[in-house]
Amino acid sequence: MSAAIKLLGHIGAVTRLSGRTFKIVFSRRFVDRSLLSAQMDQAGIGSWSIAVLTALFTGAVMAIQFADGLEPYGASLYTGKMVSLGIVRELGPTLTAVLVGGRVGAGFTAEIGSMNVTEQVDAISALGADPIEKLVAPRVLACIIMLPLLTLLADFVGCFGAMLVVMTDVGVTATFFIEQVLETLVVADLLHGLAKATFFGYFIAIVGCYVGLNTRGGTEGVGRSTTDTVVAISITVLVSNFLLTKLFLSF
Amino acid sequence: MPDETPQPAQTATPEVVIEFKDVRKAFGPNVIYDPLNLTVRRGETLTVIGGSGKGKSVLLKMLIRLLQVDSGSITCFGEEVTTMPEPKLLGLRRRIAMLFQGAALFDSLTVAQNIKYPLVEHKWGNREQMDQRVEEVLEMVGMPGIQNLKPSELSGGMKKRVGLARAIAIQPDVILYDEPTTGLDPLNVRRINGLILRLQRRLNVTSVVVTHDMDSCFTITDRIAFLYERRMDWTGTKEEALATDFAPLREFVQGGRGTLESDGTEDG
Repeated sequence: MSAAIKLLGHIGAVTRLSGRTFKIVFSRRFVDRSLLSAQMDQAGIGSWSIAVLTALFTGAVMAIQFADGLEPYGASLYTGKMVSLGIVRELGPTLTAVLVGGRVGAGFTAEIGSMNVTEQVDAISALGADPIEKLVAPRVLACIIMLPLLTLLADFVGCFGAMLVVMTDVGVTATFFIEQVLETLVVADLLHGLAKATFFGYFIAIVGCYVGLNTRGGTEGVGRSTTDTVVAISITVLVSNFLLTKLFLSF
Repeated sequence: MPDETPQPAQTATPEVVIEFKDVRKAFGPNVIYDPLNLTVRRGETLTVIGGSGKGKSVLLKMLIRLLQVDSGSITCFGEEVTTMPEPKLLGLRRRIAMLFQGAALFDSLTVAQNIKYPLVEHKWGNREQMDQRVEEVLEMVGMPGIQNLKPSELSGGMKKRVGLARAIAIQPDVILYDEPTTGLDPLNVRRINGLILRLQRRLNVTSVVVTHDMDSCFTITDRIAFLYERRMDWTGTKEEALATDFAPLREFVQGGRGTLESDGTEDG
């Protein structure tokens, strides 16, 4: 019972933090482009390799599994259809969010948490600035922008990985595979995935920043908070993926 | 740095600039103030003493609303702080600077960028004026020419002095010092004490110092407030503190100034 109350307390606090953050993002106060570009570089550009590697091998493994499963029905030629749909709708956004989220969210918590326990967050306020404007808003906006871009990259690379496997194992040509993919996918599939990635970007940044801002207990506390963030982001992405999928498919 | 530590300036005037009235504060079951009543007069250096972990720093943080009170009133320059709207609070923080216990310099910024931070936030002049101000305040704290160093390249004492330079850059009316000499070697303690006194004389600011370093307290202070059992009922000059009959304060002062007493154990 107390755990449920605690969870509700965290959800309420994250909601308040989100409200204050978006108020800044959509107001004229948010003008520090250098902070935003630094975070876009750290969160997005710094994560492209992890997104590409994950997508490449996930696409390849899915292709192996589908090709094998469809073979008894003589349908392994259509592996590209199945794999591309799975990657663009689900695996691209979700796997990218879990892996990039672990890296980026933990980084946010460690950095802000360290600043918090050394009173640097208090110093920002004492010097006449707003810690949410300086620390939270640029990170949230950077993740909201970069996660869909990383997901787009992951979708492309995942399909490419699948194509290599299908070409090798099933013996279809690249042109045939691409035709199959283009025949199957519609713009809405891509948009569903990218819309989910936008939400995941927001969740990753807000959770990472919230846990960082509430870090107590010196360096030990920073370590604990960082672990908490990775767990919280993974759970948030997986649970919200279910809810967002239900929501988007109802339209 | 001079060899002789300067004596405190006697500039106290009756005008009250800060007033805590019936302030209550608790963190869960841990009651910090029940209640706090305290006044600070213009131009004086008031030192708040008391045991570690009793909430002395909380007082400073409540004053610039880094922490909110549970109840009671805090007025500063005649304005209520506890209910002050955000834009006004920004103006208040322009007039009150704080030196944090660990200096709280931003690790990712250079010394110059750290000192410019409040200047940029409060739109204090153009770039050349800011550069000049950085030079001036670094000169004031006796550390010229270190603009491009990062905080990780500074010692504890240097960090405190840069923190102080950052605090005075915006020309505040009040400076809050949170344990300014804690963790420093004796030479740096003397440097910081001397700096506080010189700034007091040169800038004529009001200072509130939180410390449990009694030597530092008796060097820099005009008036002392003693935090005991969640209240700050005793305030007085350092002469009154030395001559007090109030046993907890007498023990604190004597203990802090190096008078050894038996702890009940026997040698050999």
